[in-house]
Amino acid sequence: MFRFLFKKENRVESLIYDYLDTLKLTQDNFSEALTVCLVEPQCEDFLFLIEQTHKFESKADDIREEIKSMMYEKVLIPESRGDIMGLLDEIDKIPHLFESILYLVQTQKLTIPDFIVLDIKDIVRISLECCELLVRQVVALFKKTEGIRALVATIDTNESHCDHIERRIITKVFDSDLDPFMKLQIKELISKIGDISDQADRVSKRINIINMKRRV
Amino acid sequence: MFHLLGGVFLGWSLGANDGANVFGTAVSSRMLRFWTAAVLGSVFVIIGAILSGQAGIETLKGLTTLGLEQAVISSVAAAVTVTIMTILGLPVSTSQAVVGTILGIGILNDQLNLSGVGKVVVCWIGTPTGAAIIAILLYHILGILYNQLSLNIFTSDICLRLGLVAAGSYGAYALGANNVANVTAVFVGAGLLNVFYAALIGGLSIALGILTFSRPVMETVGRRLVRMDPFSAFIVVLSLAVTVHIYALIGVPVSTSQAVIGGVLGIGIVKGVRTVSRQTLRNILIGWFLTPVIACFLALAFDFVIHLHYIPGKFLF
Repeated sequence: MFRFLFKKENRVESLIYDYLDTLKLTQDNFSEALTVCLVEPQCEDFLFLIEQTHKFESKADDIREEIKSMMYEKVLIPESRGDIMGLLDEIDKIPHLFESILYLVQTQKLTIPDFIVLDIKDIVRISLECCELLVRQVVALFKKTEGIRALVATIDTNESHCDHIERRIITKVFDSDLDPFMKLQIKELISKIGDISDQADRVSKRINIINMKRRV
Repeated sequence: MFHLLGGVFLGWSLGANDGANVFGTAVSSRMLRFWTAAVLGSVFVIIGAILSGQAGIETLKGLTTLGLEQAVISSVAAAVTVTIMTILGLPVSTSQAVVGTILGIGILNDQLNLSGVGKVVVCWIGTPTGAAIIAILLYHILGILYNQLSLNIFTSDICLRLGLVAAGSYGAYALGANNVANVTAVFVGAGLLNVFYAALIGGLSIALGILTFSRPVMETVGRRLVRMDPFSAFIVVLSLAVTVHIYALIGVPVSTSQAVIGGVLGIGIVKGVRTVSRQTLRNILIGWFLTPVIACFLALAFDFVIHLHYIPGKFLF
């Protein structure tokens, strides 16, 4: 009813939704880049999509900085301010992971061996699903729609599934006849992809705590 | 009018100190700008003093009959007591200081309304305990409502901030209604002012204290409550306002500092945590005893000193 009196709060809320939209664009470009890379590594499309991912990751950073600056101008109650800033910092590790995975493939000129392509597609799909669920959870926190706890449980299940696939891929890689140096490169890549769901799970649990502690 | 200066000084120090109890939480946590709080506080203190301050003035006026000179002594002794207690670091109640000085003058005049004194003392004990009980009740009732509303972070923040402004304004109204008697009731008893002007001048002097000197006190005192979650802080301010307003209606000036401590204690009981240390509780008890006693003795001492006369030829060496 009195929302019109709180312009800064309204602006911060709108910026948070912008940030989430940009996160989705970063995620879409990352997903597309990996798909292209699995078919044809180091092609032009892949390089273009890396640039796009970087562009949206930077944009997300800019939005986060703008939100932080507004927060320092005493928007919201200090407790909420700390919660939101901490939450954004944690979410922001995810687009950084997207970018660093693509740079890892690009700079180390990695070619994914055929026998793990399906598993990688699987782990990427589930990890990105975790991110989508996380965005829904953030929206639920800010719009106070129900289902935050259910989303925590789903993300947690997905994260366990990702851990399982991660171990399976690494085992397959080290059981193979690949060059030992390449085995380590692939292991690093798989661990980084696994970090996406781990981070999504951490953020999801944090959101649940923020939501629970606001209850009297 | 020169005689009123002691009262105005007392009102000013009361405003500077007690304004912090009302808006300290909101200002020190940056939920509200100081000037917004100070202006709201001042306006509502004056409104409270004028609309509901008469009962307290009648009670204090009825404790004893004071002459104009004794009224000034009473004000100055109360102000000095408040200063001493502040220096000692004990929680001080202006109400207790003023009642102590009135008792002192009453003893001197051999005119004391003991039933009135009994009513006042019972209310002093009832202030922190009443605030604690009100805080517990409000926490449960408003907590259920708050949870039912299921607000998002932004809406809940806005509601809590508006709630703190409303509770703070109500607290300022209650402060004016309750504490104006401390400032100018003695001058009504002395026949210098009528009740309306006493309420107006008292309200204005408290407001002056809030506007000119409450900022550092708000910054310091408010931090005690900032550690609480915003909802609990809102409940503490609201319980203070309700408690002090009830005593304003009864017509007994009480301490907002003690009401705040009672509210914080109530929140601690609800949450099962210790929000007030044993040392604070011990200091309150010492303050309860010492404030009226020191004020009473100071009033007697000031009266004695003022009535000393130089008699030529009496000093023989």
